[in-house]
Amino acid sequence: MATNAPFDQELKVFEQHRAEWSNSHAGEYVAIQDETIAGFFTSYADAFRAGLQRFGVRRGFLVKQVWITEPVYVVS
Amino acid sequence: MARVDISWDPFDPVDPGPCIDVIVTNSRDVISAGRSLGLEYPEPLRMKALLDTGASVTVISRVFAGYCKLFQTSEGSEITAIGATHRCAEHAGSISFPDTGLKGFDPIRIVSAVFAKQRHYACLIGRDILRNWVLNFDGRSRRVTITD
Repeated sequence: MATNAPFDQELKVFEQHRAEWSNSHAGEYVAIQDETIAGFFTSYADAFRAGLQRFGVRRGFLVKQVWITEPVYVVS
Repeated sequence: MARVDISWDPFDPVDPGPCIDVIVTNSRDVISAGRSLGLEYPEPLRMKALLDTGASVTVISRVFAGYCKLFQTSEGSEITAIGATHRCAEHAGSISFPDTGLKGFDPIRIVSAVFAKQRHYACLIGRDILRNWVLNFDGRSRRVTITD
């Protein structure tokens, strides 16, 4: 079920599985809507396309790379 | 393969750096699926983008991401610039380079962040795109050449 904060539920699912997925899918991208996981993919583009096919465009879905610690993007 | 020359003046302190025109829109898959459901999307928007070897990802002004209604795929990611860290959103979009022949990217992850006012550009072309090109920064002739 969708919540008010964007991706609140999906990020919760991601955090619950982060340690486990960091062992099995490190560096891969996962697509999630609510608690449904579309799968793991080697690129952002593949994960996005799979999410689009599974969930459609009516509501957003999370696409996130699996790392044990959250990367910080750098702009200098 | 395309080759593009961009003028740039490294001797001018107010020159923002080498910029290229880009068109940012939603991925064509999103537009196609959305339109079949009756959703509307704005006309593609042409804007200036800075070639930024210091940016690890491609970044768009949050204002423009909102205008383009870019499909959001994450929230709360962190981006750090000169010591300050900000929260940003992530989107799946499409970037093309009009009138250049350079191959576009669709879909590509685009991070949206708040840009300082009076910027010369609304987008930073980060290393996720730059790594696909051969870039020649020739300061003495004040030109940057892109080959894809």
